[in-house]
Amino acid sequence: MPAGLLNGIRVLDLGSGISAPWCAKILADYGADVIKVEPPGAGDCARRMGPFAGDDPHPEKSLGFLYLNTNKRGVTLDPSSPTGRKLLERLVAEADVLVENHPPARSQELGLNYQSLAEVNPKLVVTSVTPFGQTGPYRDYQATDIVTYALSGLMYHSGDSDKEPLRNVLDQSFYVAGANAAAATQVALFARLYSGEGQQVDVSAAECLGAHMVQPLPYYNYMGAVKGRRPVRGAGFEELMPARDGYVAPSVQGSRPWSTVAALIGGEELQDEKFATGAGRVAHGEELKQLLIKGLAEWDRMPLFLASGEQRLVFGMAQDAGDLANCPHLESRGFFVEVDHPVAGRARYPGMAVRLPGETITATRPAPLLGQHNADVYGQELGYSAADLATLRQHAII
Amino acid sequence: MSAAPLKNIRVMDLSRVFAMPFAGANLADLGAEVIKIDTCQAQFMDTTRTITGPFPDNRTGELWWEQGGTFQNLNRGKRSLTLDLRSEQSQAIIKDLVRLCDVVLENFTPRVMARFGLDYESLRAHKPDLIMVSNTGYGHSGPWSNFGAMASALEPTHGTGAFMGYMEEGPDGRLIEGQVPNKMGNSYSDFMATWTALGGLMAALLRRARTGQGQWIDLAMYQTGTTVIGQGLLDFAFNGSGTGSGTGKGTGRRTQRIGNRHPVWSPHGVYPCQGKDQWVAIAARDQDDWRALCLAMGQPELAADPRFNDPMDRRRHQEELDAVIAAWTAQRTSYGVTACLQDAGVPAGAVLNAKQALTDPQYVSRGFFETVHNPPEVELRPKGYVGRGWKFSGSQAQVRGPAPQLGEGNEYVLGELLGVDQGRIDAFASDWTIGNTPEGGRAPAQVPLDEQVEIGSIAEYDADYLDHLPSI
Repeated sequence: MPAGLLNGIRVLDLGSGISAPWCAKILADYGADVIKVEPPGAGDCARRMGPFAGDDPHPEKSLGFLYLNTNKRGVTLDPSSPTGRKLLERLVAEADVLVENHPPARSQELGLNYQSLAEVNPKLVVTSVTPFGQTGPYRDYQATDIVTYALSGLMYHSGDSDKEPLRNVLDQSFYVAGANAAAATQVALFARLYSGEGQQVDVSAAECLGAHMVQPLPYYNYMGAVKGRRPVRGAGFEELMPARDGYVAPSVQGSRPWSTVAALIGGEELQDEKFATGAGRVAHGEELKQLLIKGLAEWDRMPLFLASGEQRLVFGMAQDAGDLANCPHLESRGFFVEVDHPVAGRARYPGMAVRLPGETITATRPAPLLGQHNADVYGQELGYSAADLATLRQHAII
Repeated sequence: MSAAPLKNIRVMDLSRVFAMPFAGANLADLGAEVIKIDTCQAQFMDTTRTITGPFPDNRTGELWWEQGGTFQNLNRGKRSLTLDLRSEQSQAIIKDLVRLCDVVLENFTPRVMARFGLDYESLRAHKPDLIMVSNTGYGHSGPWSNFGAMASALEPTHGTGAFMGYMEEGPDGRLIEGQVPNKMGNSYSDFMATWTALGGLMAALLRRARTGQGQWIDLAMYQTGTTVIGQGLLDFAFNGSGTGSGTGKGTGRRTQRIGNRHPVWSPHGVYPCQGKDQWVAIAARDQDDWRALCLAMGQPELAADPRFNDPMDRRRHQEELDAVIAAWTAQRTSYGVTACLQDAGVPAGAVLNAKQALTDPQYVSRGFFETVHNPPEVELRPKGYVGRGWKFSGSQAQVRGPAPQLGEGNEYVLGELLGVDQGRIDAFASDWTIGNTPEGGRAPAQVPLDEQVEIGSIAEYDADYLDHLPSI
């Protein structure tokens, strides 16, 4: 659904997996012309990452890949061969941004380091997204999402205090890193308006998460306290509690008094004054928890959520993928976009993270098939003949 | 010396609490002049000033509203102008000031902004190319748009808990997918909004430079949070009973709560280490990682064990395998396991807490925590504050200074920028529109740390924590 904010900006996405492709997708959604550059043959490793459409492990049916690469065109290129390098340099000469997420040593080998690319195009912004950044003792560490989350200092706080720290299975480190990379890349483009020069943007996924420590960090360096995971003992609020058809997150936050909260959930005993203050709710935590469980057992999630919103309370409810896919609120905001992919088929995808009132949004382009736009980009734009392209293909350069 | 990329940008920061104030702090790090619109009326003050803490040594000082550690992290490098947004004269000041600003950040509910006459359309009348981020729980359109929100209740609502949860014991005693959602915690939804706001407003600034056009960004944390689980939504659309045509062979997946296991790789998890609540994360992506792990643990025979042949076998016998690995890690420190396995090329990382992060070699080597000196009257020792996850080779980004004291910029903004005459400034001061101390309110009572341990709001504390901090 590209908007027009980044019209005229060309981005080369040499990323694979999640972090750099998510960065490039955000830029594409804002209207940048993004060309995804994949290794010939296997393509982006996300193509082999499950789940797949129809549970069919096919390189054009990876749902992660399909989601992370909408609004991009796709070409194939092996930058390690001399001819491939020449092609890459032709692309780089016309680009504003190159975003990649190879391990630092590998990106050096592939010639994707800033110094060598800047020789070709000094106005280029090169964004490298890695687990730990381009410097420091962990720069060459082997890392996956769970390892990055662990070493960031954030994982320690996720989950229950009587169990091990817990991660989200959808690789959140790399989404956080990608969102940061999209912002930082644009900062570098903005700086270029004044300096006329590109630069390197070194994004560390662990540090992007580390920046979230605005509470745990001062807890330690202000008063020596180690914040842990949430306690199992029910202090009563902002925790997930069972309702009739799933879990809800009641809360006393907002401007309303305790009596409103108690009246909504129901039950005489909840109205007791001893629960009216934070300290009282902690002191009588276990009793409160039992009363809440009793009261909430009469509620389904959605009616409770709607009633709390109407009474200016701030309750949450645990929703799953099906709930969200059918959410009337997201629907009314025009969040979902219809995407028709030639191999995987048609489906409703999540759209942009923000709504841009007044902005004309065009149709969403499906994720590219492997090498789908080789002829467009190398032929029509760079002027290679059909015979040239055939030769490049034979040598597995594209 | 390289330039600060946003040095010509002025930001009016009307926002409160976490998400947008942190976006403003990042803009200040990038060189923007960020004017925080504060208020003297204690009940309307940013709650990070009045409630959140933590306070130095768990005690509030004379200037308690300047001392909160979270407030300091989220508002570093800004100016502060106090106003009373309920009054027409304050609203007029906002409209005068907006002419001199490039960006407005706010997170009031739509109802409140309209009541103050400070919605985008009204402000745009004074600044036609204004870029404004309005961050709310559910956005400015749609049936839930007037619902309030906060991250800890919002996070399950936008679905992260569908993909996060401990496994449960199944009928045959083995672990199966869990039913109970869990949370990333730590206000995860807020930070996703922070990064999304920065990306959106940079895109808008780039377009404004090209076309002169402004932009209103209607950021709904609920919607933003949904985008980071897009893969899960597509799994439902293609393989569930969603609207996707797919091939219809799927099983209707709506959740995936498999603890720290991985859908494909094995072993994958966190394992206990020496010390209290110490853990290490280990992930074997393929057979090479698996064999290297066995060798590094000094148990090469494991690689030949038929129960652990390939990832499918290992997933089938993961509980037995996890017990073997845990027995090995439990004899070692989390950093020791990390170094040993990384030497062998196996992904592994200590689960650091904030205390460990402060002295972690990687963070220290990259200078991630940046030192801020507060003026002596604020009674805060120089300390490290969170930096950013990005470094520029050619632009300057750094924490510029402490969070502003209440009304610190009143003279500057009203006098210097807006040319308000001294008589009117004095009148503002006399009715508490401007000031440097709260009107009403009092220092929040702090729960003793022993009690905080007792009720579980902290895990533990070090009375001698100063000895454990990196030297400044």
